Amino acid sequence: MIGTTEVSSTTRVSLGTIDLLLRDRGVMLARIRSGNVAEILRTMIATIAVAMAIVGAALGSYRGEEQILYAAIKLPLVLLGTAALSAPALTAIGAAVGRRARLAHDLALVMSALAFGALLLAACTPLIMLGRAIDLSYHQMILSTVVMFAIAGFASLRMVIHALALEQGPGWRSAIAGLCTVFVFVGGQLAWSLRPYLVRPRAQDVPFVREVEGSLFDAITGAAQSARGVYRRDEAPLPEGY
Amino acid sequence: MSLATELSPPTIPTIATHPMLGLALAAAGPVAIGGILAARAELLSPLAAAPAIIFGVVAATSPALYIAIAATGDAPPLSRVARALGVALGAFGIALAGLVLPAAFISLSSVAALTTVVVCSCALGFAAMLALRRLSSELGTRTLSAGVVFVVWAITTFVIAGRLWWDLASEVLL
Repeated sequence: MIGTTEVSSTTRVSLGTIDLLLRDRGVMLARIRSGNVAEILRTMIATIAVAMAIVGAALGSYRGEEQILYAAIKLPLVLLGTAALSAPALTAIGAAVGRRARLAHDLALVMSALAFGALLLAACTPLIMLGRAIDLSYHQMILSTVVMFAIAGFASLRMVIHALALEQGPGWRSAIAGLCTVFVFVGGQLAWSLRPYLVRPRAQDVPFVREVEGSLFDAITGAAQSARGVYRRDEAPLPEGY
Repeated sequence: MSLATELSPPTIPTIATHPMLGLALAAAGPVAIGGILAARAELLSPLAAAPAIIFGVVAATSPALYIAIAATGDAPPLSRVARALGVALGAFGIALAGLVLPAAFISLSSVAALTTVVVCSCALGFAAMLALRRLSSELGTRTLSAGVVFVVWAITTFVIAGRLWWDLASEVLL
């Protein structure tokens, strides 16, 4: 497989790298450790952008029209933004406990893992289209999407854990724990800030992003308070016409 | 590029982890976290108060650590303890440098003040735990009694600093 990547053309090298990511992640991790991370980073950014745009467009097609474009723009931003904000944390946390600090390599590793997850999600696109074709309800579509993203997320995480475990150096467990924590919170908040992605077909207005209503943490704490009978409002707002 | 070349040892330059860089980050990190609090509260006091809490508490409690470990008979030389504290503070700063950006993003994209307090507290707390772990490994104490002394000192220092931080955050934001 390596032989297919030994070409001078940037485009062919990139395609070979994507193929390598899918077929042999052990060799892919060795390439990240050995250097040439600039080419890997460029390829992975393009992979994430294209794959998540496809997934976003598929999710947006549930509502149709402009939501296809909106979701296709926003989903790549979520993944790339999360990687950009989280990778430095992986390097810094690892360095704090004695792991060798290599920001470019860590960024390439995180980007590669996310690109792998993005490709898995792109492979799930026919399932999203199937849901649309058989008229799955909005909530069923939400649950299906959550399952797909969970599978892709675990696959990405497994790749990062495998890469850091291979180092067997000091601090790799702390680095993983820190990365996961930062990733969940930053990714959750960024995804929350840029929602909606999946919109009910009968929705009349489709905003590019919703107004700032607080963070994911605010929503969770609010829901927890409501569940305990502590409400912030006297009553829930009624739809127009009531 | 051949397979042998591809799998050769790393040649890419790495981030410098010079002790002075760590100490500089140890000073800048709490200022940045204080800055998040300050931006939210629209007050300047957290900018100075956050690093003052960190360095003040460490300065106040670190002599006790040396005295207590020495009393157990498992005392590294004073220079080694001082160096370990410097490395641990550097580790604190480096960890915080990686957490400032995510903390700032989550805090500033939220509308609730409590989110800012929780996120900044988590960032400081996590960086402090990593620093304590690094301090433990740098000290390299071998006896059980020295280990117990370190754990008691770590908990005490963490709680004192945590209480002062919480008082500051509550006063300016909650």
